[in-house]
Parts: sequence; C-alpha cells; structure tokens
Amino acid sequence: MKLFLRGSHLLFVLFLLVQLLPDARPSQAIYSVGFAVAAETASLLFAVLTLRTQRREAHLFFDLLAFVYASLIVWELLTAKFSILRAALFPPPGMIIAQIASDAGKITLNIRSSLGIILEGHALGLAAGIPLGLFLGWSARLGSVAAYVSKFLGSIPPVVYIPYGIALLPTFRSVSVLVIFLATFWPVLAGTMSGVLNVERRIIDSARVLNVSRFSMLFHIILPASLPQIFIGCNQGLSVSFVLLTSAEMIGARSGMGYYVKNYSDLGDYTRTVAGVLVIGTVVSTVMFFSNKLQNYLLRWKS
Amino acid sequence: MKKIEVRDLTVDYGEREERFTALDGVSFSVKSGEFVSVVGSSGCGKSTLLSVLEGITRPSGGTAVIDGAPIVGPGTDRGVVFQHYSLFPWMTARHNVTFGVKQARKDLSPKRRLEVADEFLNQVGLEGFKDKYPSQLSGGMQQRVAIARALAMDAEILLMDEPFGALDAKNRIKLQELLLRLWEGRERKKTVVFVTHDIDEAILLSDRVVMLTNSPGRVHGEILVPFPRPRGRAKLVRTPEYSKLRSELLSLLFNDLSRKIGGEEVVL
Ligand SMILES: Nc1ncnc2c1ncn2[C@@H]1O[C@H](COP(=O)(O)OP(=O)(O)OP(=O)(O)O)[C@@H](O)[C@H]1O
Ligand SMILES: [Mg+2]
Repeated sequence: MKLFLRGSHLLFVLFLLVQLLPDARPSQAIYSVGFAVAAETASLLFAVLTLRTQRREAHLFFDLLAFVYASLIVWELLTAKFSILRAALFPPPGMIIAQIASDAGKITLNIRSSLGIILEGHALGLAAGIPLGLFLGWSARLGSVAAYVSKFLGSIPPVVYIPYGIALLPTFRSVSVLVIFLATFWPVLAGTMSGVLNVERRIIDSARVLNVSRFSMLFHIILPASLPQIFIGCNQGLSVSFVLLTSAEMIGARSGMGYYVKNYSDLGDYTRTVAGVLVIGTVVSTVMFFSNKLQNYLLRWKS
Repeated sequence: MKKIEVRDLTVDYGEREERFTALDGVSFSVKSGEFVSVVGSSGCGKSTLLSVLEGITRPSGGTAVIDGAPIVGPGTDRGVVFQHYSLFPWMTARHNVTFGVKQARKDLSPKRRLEVADEFLNQVGLEGFKDKYPSQLSGGMQQRVAIARALAMDAEILLMDEPFGALDAKNRIKLQELLLRLWEGRERKKTVVFVTHDIDEAILLSDRVVMLTNSPGRVHGEILVPFPRPRGRAKLVRTPEYSKLRSELLSLLFNDLSRKIGGEEVVL
C-alpha cells in the first residue's frame, strides 16, 4: 500500500488529471501522456524488482521521477492549458517529445558524434595524464620543480588552445579532440600529482619494507592510493569537456548536439531547440552517472 | 652468532634549530634465533630504532649491521609489523597478506600463496573477514592482518612494533601464544626484535629485555630472561622467579622515571 502513496505516483495521477482540462493551444498531449505512462510503468516494475534491495537508490529514482512529473505538470499548465508563455518560444511537452521521437535518427547521429569526440579526447587525456602525473608526482616527492611547472601550464584555460589547434590541425573533429584532450589532461595531471604528493608516508613505508619494485611502487601502491584525487581531476575534465565541446560545436561544426541546438534556434525552430537542450542534459547526466558509478566501484574500499 | 648488531647508533630528526636527537649512542646486539624485547616509555625512540633496522631511516651516526653487512635499505629478509599497522586500504585482508607473501617468497605458486595467506589469517582468528577491506575492520583486526602478513612472509628476522597494542585482552593472549608457538616450534628460529610497553608480555616472550630511556633515547639496561622454553603463561606467572624479575624490570623503569623527576625536566 505504501508503495502507491509515494509522491511520484500521486504526481503521475495529478498529471493525468491535468490532461482533462481543455487545451488552449494544440499540444500533442498523446505524446506527453504516453511518455508519463511509460515512465510510470517502468517505475512500478522497478519498484517491484527492488522491493527488498537497494532502498537508497530506489528513493533517489522515485524522487527524480517526481521531479519530472512536477515539471511536466507546470510546463503543461503554462503552455498547452492556459497559454501563459509565448507559443513560438515555449512549445508544450507533448510537441517536444513528439519532435524528439521523429528526429530520433538525426539526434542519435549527433549524440554519437559529440560523445565520440568526448570519449576519444578524454581517454587520450587519461592515458597521458595519469602515467605522467604518477611519474612527475613521484619525482616531485623526491624533490623537483615538476609540481610548479604543471601548476603553471594547468592554469591556462584550454579554450585558448583552440585557435592554435585550428592552425595546427586539419579538421574540426581533430581540433575538438585536441581541446578535450587538453581539458582532461591538465586537471588529471594536476590531480594525479597532488594525489601522489599526498600519499601517506606510512603507506609508502609499508610498501618499502616489502621491497617492491619501482614499477610495483608506482602502479600497485601509488596509483590506487592516489585514485581519489585522480578522479577529482577526471570529473573536472569531463564537465569542462562538455561545456567546451558544445560551445565549439555551436561555432564551427556541422554535427554534434551543440550544432543541432544552434542550427535550429537560428532557423527559429524552438521546439527542436528545447528538444536539443533536454537531450544534451540527459546525455550529460547519463555519462556523469555512469562515470560516478564506475568511480564508486573502483573506490569501494574507501569507508 | 650475532644476527643484528647496533653500535653507537644516533638518529637526529630535522635540521638545524629544529634538530631533535631521538636516539643517542644506542648499542646492543641480537643473536641469531634470539627473541629480544625493547621496552621504554612513550617517545623514547623505540619506533625510531626499529625503522633503522627496517632500512627506512638512515642513521645520523653509528652503525646498524645485519649478518655482518651494514643495512642499506629495506629487504624481505625482515618481516615488519608497524605500530600503525599500515595495510593497503585498497586491498582486502587476504590480498594484503598475499601481496606480502608474493614479495617475500617469489618461489611460491599463486595458489600456494593463497593457501599460506589463508592459513595465517585463520591463525590470527580472522576466518570470516578475509574478503573485507581494512576500512571495514576494527583497529585490532587490522593489526592482526598486519601480523599475519609479517608471519606469512616467513622472513628470518621479525621486527614488531607494539604488534599487540590495539588488541583486547583475550586476543592479545591468544596472539602472544601463537607467536610463542610459531617461534619456539621451529628448528631454525627466527630472530625477533619486539617493541612493547607491557612488562609481562616482554617477560613471557623474550630471551632478553633491552630497556631504553627517554630524550634522547639511550640504552638504560638489559635483563636476561632465563626461563626455560616452551613457556606457558599460566605456570610462569605463578613462579617466584617471575615476580622477582618483574619487579626488577619495573624498578629499572621507575629508576629512569625518578631520575627524570629529580632532574630539571620536571614541569608541573
Ligand atoms: N619523523 C619525525 N620527525 C621529527 N621527530 C620525530 C619523528 N619521528 C619521531 N620523532 C621524535 O622522536 C622521538 C622518538 O619517537 P619514536 O616514535 O621513536 O618513539 P617511541 O618510543 O616509538 O614512542 P611510542 O612508545 O609512543 O610509540 C619522539 O620524541 C618523536 O617526537
Ligand atoms: Mg613507537
């Protein structure tokens, strides 16, 4: 019984009731209702499946859903039902969902292009930043100026490399990858180095009395011990990467989610503009969600 | 045969004005197969002395020698239990032990390493906790993992810094007995340097007790513990010889304290 008294379920019912009000302008309500029904079905299935386990995660999920329903209700009332917001700029939720559905192919293509660049640049940034950070951090620990050099270079915002990159590299894609690479590389390098510099002495001493090889010291001891700070750099890099890439796509690209949004707002197609913004939000939070999951798994040893 | 020999050992921490002499001219030696306890009040340099033997700290003066060769760095001929029992937090209890075994006994197959690790974890009473991470274990449990790691490495020398300090009375006695059993039961005995605050523990376990004094650390005296082995706690503590030795050690300890109270270091 308690299962059905949750806020999200009540808001779902409220949303259906709102649909009974007469439309003030065309709304394609069938899509928003369809979306809500699909979400509610999924949530009920989820609730049944997680009846016993994962309580905390389940709560989070339902709170999120409640927020989605509440936003749908407010949006629906302000647009379709009472037409308070200007029709040309603020399409009702049904139309946005319909638009996403009909543009699905195009949107997928653009997401793939954006994500491809992000993943490639990010992976290269990690692959270069972590080993170099370990090495420089370790030698800085032994007393070198590496720490200051990387602080200086890391303080340069990666956007300023764009013009230089354009001169250097042939395509928009390769410039983008370079910028994402740098946006990841510096914070990861700095994070790794500070992680290495802050590894507790006693951990290092424990490893030393076990007579570990230099390789083992770096990759079996220092690397895992620095992981929390490496991830801080990683997350910083990832969120900056999305900002940089979508901005870059708005300026010079023929593909990608930033291009999609910019292109249709130039054409005055605000249904697609809003759809694009929502899709970008969803994609970014999904990537962040899985990246956090992975990090929590790798740091499961922390209390 | 002298296994470990420390002569005129001096260790200074810090530079210039901050310079602090932790050990000042410490000399003693440990025979091969001998069990020596180091006793002394807090801050007198016991851990510092061990860290020199571990090869972690360079002496500022004097020499520390193992098997006739000066100590130049750490090595797996020495199994170490730190006072702060530092395990690697990202490894489970079992993994911590196998990691140590792997470093010290390269000849063992991975399967055998696991067996050895499990055997010692069982012996320190951690059957149900092998797959837990250090953050999921209590301080005493972590210390037992560290002890299991040092024992499983099967090094010739054991350097243990208050290894039973964080244990409850029951586990403390159990582990003292385990250590006695492991040490007495072998043909080729390990050489042990064992730091403790506990006089009874020192008498029960060791062949000899080295007493250090405070600031700067110096050797205050040495006392032989002549009791026959194998020793049993229950029988031993009831003998008059035990009481006599115990009060002797205590008076040595208090002698040090009273001397300090008589001196200029009293701040009341
Ligand atoms: N890394 C260090 N830098 C400066 N001083 C230190 C350092 N390590 C220890 N000391 C000082 O050296 C002295 C001896 O320290 P040590 O840790 O060896 O004492 P201890 O006998 O092991 O004490 P306890 O019984 O409390 O463990 C102390 O006064 C301490 O302040
Ligand atoms: Mg100590």
